Amino acid sequence: MKGIIFNLVEEVVVQHHGPNTWEDLLEAAGLDGTYTSLGNYDDAELLSLVRSAGEALALPDDAVLRWVGRRAMPIIVSRWPGFFSAHHTTLDFLRSLNSVIHPEVRKLYSGANCPHFGFKTREDGALLIGYNSARRLCGLAHGFIEGAADYYRERPALDHLECMHLGDPRCLIAVQASAA
Amino acid sequence: MLDSSNGTQSDIQRLTRRLERERETRHKAEQIAEQGLRELYDKQRELEFLGLIAATANQSGSVFEVLGAALAHISQFAGCAASHVYLLAGRGSGQRLWPTGIWYASPHADLAGFQHATAQCVFTHGEGLPGLVWADTKPVWMEGLTENPGFLRREEAKKSGLRTAFAFPLLIDTEVVAVLEFFMEDRRAKDRALLLLMAQAGTQLGRVIERDRANDRLHDALHDVLTGLPNRANFLRRLDQAVTEQTLSGRPFCLLFIDLDHFKIVNDSLGHMAGDRLLIQVSARLAAALDEVQPGQALLARLGGDEFTILLHGVEDFGIGHAVCRRIHEAMRASFVIGEHDVFTTASIGIAASSASHGGAEAVLRNADLAMYHAKTCGKARTEIFDDAMHADAMRRITLEADLRAALRQGDFVLYYQPIISLADLSVVGFEALVRWQTAPGLLRLPGEFIELAEETGLIFPLGLWVLREACVQAQRWTQALGETDPADPAPTMSINLSARQFAQADLVEQIARILAETGVNPALIRLEITETVAMDDAARAIQVLTGLRELGVQISLDDFGTGFSSFSYLHRFPLQILKIDRSFVSRMDHNGESLNIVKTILLLARSLGMMVVAEGVETLREVKYLQEFGCDYCQGYYFEKPLPAQEAHQYLISNSISRRRVAA
Repeated sequence: MKGIIFNLVEEVVVQHHGPNTWEDLLEAAGLDGTYTSLGNYDDAELLSLVRSAGEALALPDDAVLRWVGRRAMPIIVSRWPGFFSAHHTTLDFLRSLNSVIHPEVRKLYSGANCPHFGFKTREDGALLIGYNSARRLCGLAHGFIEGAADYYRERPALDHLECMHLGDPRCLIAVQASAA
Repeated sequence: MLDSSNGTQSDIQRLTRRLERERETRHKAEQIAEQGLRELYDKQRELEFLGLIAATANQSGSVFEVLGAALAHISQFAGCAASHVYLLAGRGSGQRLWPTGIWYASPHADLAGFQHATAQCVFTHGEGLPGLVWADTKPVWMEGLTENPGFLRREEAKKSGLRTAFAFPLLIDTEVVAVLEFFMEDRRAKDRALLLLMAQAGTQLGRVIERDRANDRLHDALHDVLTGLPNRANFLRRLDQAVTEQTLSGRPFCLLFIDLDHFKIVNDSLGHMAGDRLLIQVSARLAAALDEVQPGQALLARLGGDEFTILLHGVEDFGIGHAVCRRIHEAMRASFVIGEHDVFTTASIGIAASSASHGGAEAVLRNADLAMYHAKTCGKARTEIFDDAMHADAMRRITLEADLRAALRQGDFVLYYQPIISLADLSVVGFEALVRWQTAPGLLRLPGEFIELAEETGLIFPLGLWVLREACVQAQRWTQALGETDPADPAPTMSINLSARQFAQADLVEQIARILAETGVNPALIRLEITETVAMDDAARAIQVLTGLRELGVQISLDDFGTGFSSFSYLHRFPLQILKIDRSFVSRMDHNGESLNIVKTILLLARSLGMMVVAEGVETLREVKYLQEFGCDYCQGYYFEKPLPAQEAHQYLISNSISRRRVAA
């Protein structure tokens, strides 16, 4: 897992709960917390942090990831505004993930194992996103999508049609976003 | 406490600020590293991409294959769902960008409708995305395809989910030769770096088209445009290779030289377009006749005109060559349908084997050509194998030609004159001038021995002019001589033969007008004799030339009537005054009823057309009587007199003007 993800989690936690909470989380997870954005860290470290946070808040992992994802979005926007300004809607932004954002991510983080999203437009206009990754971070993706909708001032409606956590071979999320 | 508490507070604030600074410093450092990494990555990827494009441009294969591969590479590089190639075709203001059907489509894209619409679109300069690229000669980026009025296929793009496009030209120097267009499913802002890269790719890929054009030129240089067969240069090169191979490894070959019979008639009567179409059909039949030969063993070429050659590799004897010739003769049997016409042609074929010659490619070709020529003279539509006798014959001809030239220079030609007799009163009415070649004192060669060669070599032109002038001079002398002796007797006419090539000269009428003026002869005494074939070859021109000659005041005589086409329907269209019945009919009148009838028919015909008739080759009294009985006007032949030298002819004229011969009762 890339250090940038840990940095984002740290920033979100510090922003909303103060620096001590982050220290508490690191302590509870037994991690030293030296993450640089360009570094590469064990996936298990992220999961430990999530689990510790979940225990502290009495929330399931999935909910913690969604919370982090949604609140990390404004930080991402401020750091890479170009990815967002090229689009006007949440769905357009999402469609650019594979072809624009992932290549950019790979430029910076050589060897980054980006998930590949399958896109399809449903008849009712909803964007169907297929996600298949051994990390099974569909919760984080869910949060990111909500955060993107916040940026475009749209009201997101996500329907997790299939989920790897429920034994499906992949996750399938139907996304709709209407002007808020 | 307070102080210490304030101090602690202040320390914490300072530490927090320091922490903040450290964090900022880390972010800045990360950003600098990120920027460097990004640039390095982009640069590497661009280099890899351009390397890949250069390798693609250099790969062998057709333009379609190479451009197809390039589309895939570029589409994958730029993250495009679809891409397509247009080629520029047409001339001048008719130039258009045409869809090619060369596509890249990502596996999950549904492009059927869009591809169909693209296949229907042909773009003019400046029209639509491809036309814009053509006009700008540089890459173009187009956003919001589905609502962009500059994008003509927006409805179909919407259905296929294509939102952004870019396109760039393939250039040879500064000339646009093709346009490549790329489509993306997402809305993407103009990527200048990508367009710069595509401009470079466009120049690299232009080489593919340039190479293809060079290949086309190479192909054109080595192939006959009309039939697509290897041309003369190509064939001679391959023949050279065969000769070398035979010298080095003893691998024999044999060469077939094919010439169509009567091709000129088709060309002249139906036009050159028809001739071309015939040649195309003939080449197809020739190729089909090689079906049973092993692939690669035979090379069929068109040397030019109606001449074709076939090189048969590894053929020791003439067995396979003969089998091929048989199939060619067989293939020519059925008519060729040219427009509304059924056209027939045959082939005269000469065969030469590599073993029969030691003089290289040229010698083999010349030998096969000689054998073909032999096939022509032996009656056409047949095959002749080259042998040494033909070579000897050719050598004889070469010697003869040199002798002919020398004779012309030295004035070794003389004219003999055969009297033409009126069958009504047996008086001399004129002479036919006949050329003789005096090769040694007392040794004369007859026209049959040298006229054909003179025709082929063009020596007939100076020789023919000399004959015309000499005969006119003689006619004028006799006119003056007779005027002195017997003014009441009309001066004798002078018949002079014109050969086919003489007749074909564009300035024939002018030449004769000049001779008439220079010699001062009365044109009414001059009878120019042409043969049927000369008149029929190009009837329209013949009529025009003959009319021109008639306007000079000379008479026209049709020689050897009955031996050629004898097309009665044509006869009345020519301005003819005299028909000459060929000697073969005259000599057979006595014992061949058919010949007798032919003579009678010709006489009837001539009378109905108001022409005079001269019977040639009269040798017996019986023949004279027949001709008198049928009402023939004139005759000439050994019965009366053989061709005589001028002096003797003069004597004959004098004596026969005074005392006229009587036919025995």
